[in-house]
Amino acid sequence: MKKFWALFFFFWPTVAMYCCLIAPSRGWWFPSPPMSRTGVQIDGLFYLILIIVTITFVGTQYAIGYVLWKGATKEQDSKAMFSHGSHKLEIIWTIVPSFILVFISLSQLDVLAEIRVISSFPEDAQKPAAKIAEVMARQFEWRIRYAKPGTDLTTEPSPGDLYFVNELHVPTGKPVVINLRTQDVQHAFFSPQLRVKQDAVPGLVIPVWFDVKEVGEYDLVCAELCGWGHYKMKARIVAQSQGGVDNYLKQLEAEQNEDGTKAESAAE
Amino acid sequence: MSRTPSLNLFVLAFLLSAAAMSGCSDSAFDSSFVYSPGTLDLMPEAQNGSKDVHGVKALLDERFGDPQHLEAWLKMPIDFGGTMTTVGEITTAESGIPVIKLGVEEGISLPEQAGSIQFVSGACAGETLVVSQWDPKTGEANLAAAPSQSVASGDICFIDRGTVIQSGRMLYMRHCSHCHGTSGDGNGPTARYLTPKPRDYRNGVFKFTSTNDMSKAARDDISRVVKYGIPGTYMPSFLLMKDEEHNAIIEYVRFLTLRGEFERKLVAELSSDYSKVALSSRLKDEKKADILKELNEFLAEDLKESANSLGDELAEIWATSDTEEALIVPSIARIPDSTESRRRGRELYLSKALNCADCHGIDGAGNGPQTIAYEKNPTTGQLYNEAGLHDVWDNQNQPRNLQLGMYRGGRRPIDLFRRIHAGIKGSRMPSFKNTPHEDIWNIVNYVLSIPFETEPGGTGIAPSAAAAAVTVPPAN
Repeated sequence: MKKFWALFFFFWPTVAMYCCLIAPSRGWWFPSPPMSRTGVQIDGLFYLILIIVTITFVGTQYAIGYVLWKGATKEQDSKAMFSHGSHKLEIIWTIVPSFILVFISLSQLDVLAEIRVISSFPEDAQKPAAKIAEVMARQFEWRIRYAKPGTDLTTEPSPGDLYFVNELHVPTGKPVVINLRTQDVQHAFFSPQLRVKQDAVPGLVIPVWFDVKEVGEYDLVCAELCGWGHYKMKARIVAQSQGGVDNYLKQLEAEQNEDGTKAESAAE
Repeated sequence: MSRTPSLNLFVLAFLLSAAAMSGCSDSAFDSSFVYSPGTLDLMPEAQNGSKDVHGVKALLDERFGDPQHLEAWLKMPIDFGGTMTTVGEITTAESGIPVIKLGVEEGISLPEQAGSIQFVSGACAGETLVVSQWDPKTGEANLAAAPSQSVASGDICFIDRGTVIQSGRMLYMRHCSHCHGTSGDGNGPTARYLTPKPRDYRNGVFKFTSTNDMSKAARDDISRVVKYGIPGTYMPSFLLMKDEEHNAIIEYVRFLTLRGEFERKLVAELSSDYSKVALSSRLKDEKKADILKELNEFLAEDLKESANSLGDELAEIWATSDTEEALIVPSIARIPDSTESRRRGRELYLSKALNCADCHGIDGAGNGPQTIAYEKNPTTGQLYNEAGLHDVWDNQNQPRNLQLGMYRGGRRPIDLFRRIHAGIKGSRMPSFKNTPHEDIWNIVNYVLSIPFETEPGGTGIAPSAAAAAVTVPPAN
């Protein structure tokens, strides 16, 4: 029976190791392939952590199993060894993990800076023209404001701005920036497929850049519990060619200047 | 529930059974419609009727049912869903169960799927049969079980009766009821945390419409609100909903609205003579037995009749509100935005005739003198406890602060035009339908410029704002 338990504790880390090894190829680790440039880098960091965690977890579990096996195979009347406190061991298991943590935090700095620090944004994202829209979060929807076609986005609303809700159109293949704001409480702009997540903080205008690799529709959800309607706060990001976005904005401009006379009766 | 035979033609029940719909989880809890405070203020005999006569509650339930058992009052302009068709040839399958051929009429388009058939005429009238196999090309329906009576060719039936209103109810309960309430009374569990209050549909009034001041809301108006939300309130956008889900919800909102309005109209017929208050004052010089006798006669004859004519009235006004006849179309295109037009708009805004500033304030901040005056409650004749304007739902009604650039009923010029032309229904924003359309456009141009003024009061219009050209959509 003792051996059974020792084997039992060998069995589970083996299963865990198998799961960790096949996780990347099975897509168990992420909701979708990364659809943005930073997404690839972020996934790389996740895989790095997966490797470190797998080695640590499986190693310690096997060590436990080994100790149990030793105990199980020991003769009944052999004397137990009593030990208390080992400075050497204490120092080892303090210093080794801290080296690992320092390594993780240093190795992700570049990616973090590229995502969060404006001066480290890609050059194209620092141009005013890259700023495509303001995304104003509010309980419980995303209000989008685009600049009037042909002009740059201003931080505060300007005449001729175009408005929509719960649908953000972005061009593919180049970095775009949104001004993230909130009208009421804290929200978070989260697009799982694009690996973009940024809190919207009352009083702040936060530039968020990302690029979308492929044309398609992506989820935009709120990732900060913002109230009773948090679950309703879902929108879509429509990634199109630059021409598609231009057409969309042109159409939006026409709709927004609708005066209900000729155009509307023609539509009906 | 007892049902008078004459109503059978109009009122047909369909069961909201979990099996017929998309699974058990959808009807996880039972719910019920509540009666309006007006109904509950009537004397109990008027609410409940007696053995042979229907009171208000029974008249209402007979036509609208309860959430688990919705009724389709066919004269109402609501798309309940389903296809009406006539039974053609009837053959018998090997199992002895009849196979019914449907859709023998010319030009009828049969649905791709058919789950059930409900008969409205013939020996099987009222019976719902489950379809086990359906061929949309030939219209042949194999039944899962034999009907209790024999089906004859020429019987009229519905395929998948009430599917729209049923799915509308499911979606409404999931997405809307926690604020707007099961009965559409704007009193769901989350309503108490919200300002402004969620809409109580039962007045039959929707604020932001494209229709003229005397009309109700068109489907399109409710649709815009559901799709795009109302900025400045808690109504969020449901843009991501599928079209068919969206349409089903709108039909169900219409259903709840018509139920509530019908109830109000019935109560209005009774409340002056048979409310609890009226009863106590009448008892001073009348005997209770006489009053009850009179009430019974009224319920048996007058009210039953007026229930039908009230239904006709409601059906007509809601149906016409959905047509082009009710739509506000400006007689002239928008006047191009210019400093001149805005100046003219501001003059009109401040003019005695229109007096916009009385509520919205001279600089458009929504702080006009009316917001600190005390208003009389039109129903009770008493002054309200708090200063300011009140809407028909008795909520405090803040005139819009036009400096914020937040437009609840939409920010398109046509939206603002319609707000001014028809007023905001149920609120104290009146209709200015007699104002020349040119003037309304000038006011629209001025109002749209207010958020961008360099100083309040419109004395200095920002050059950048003046330069903002208005793109007029191409006339095609």
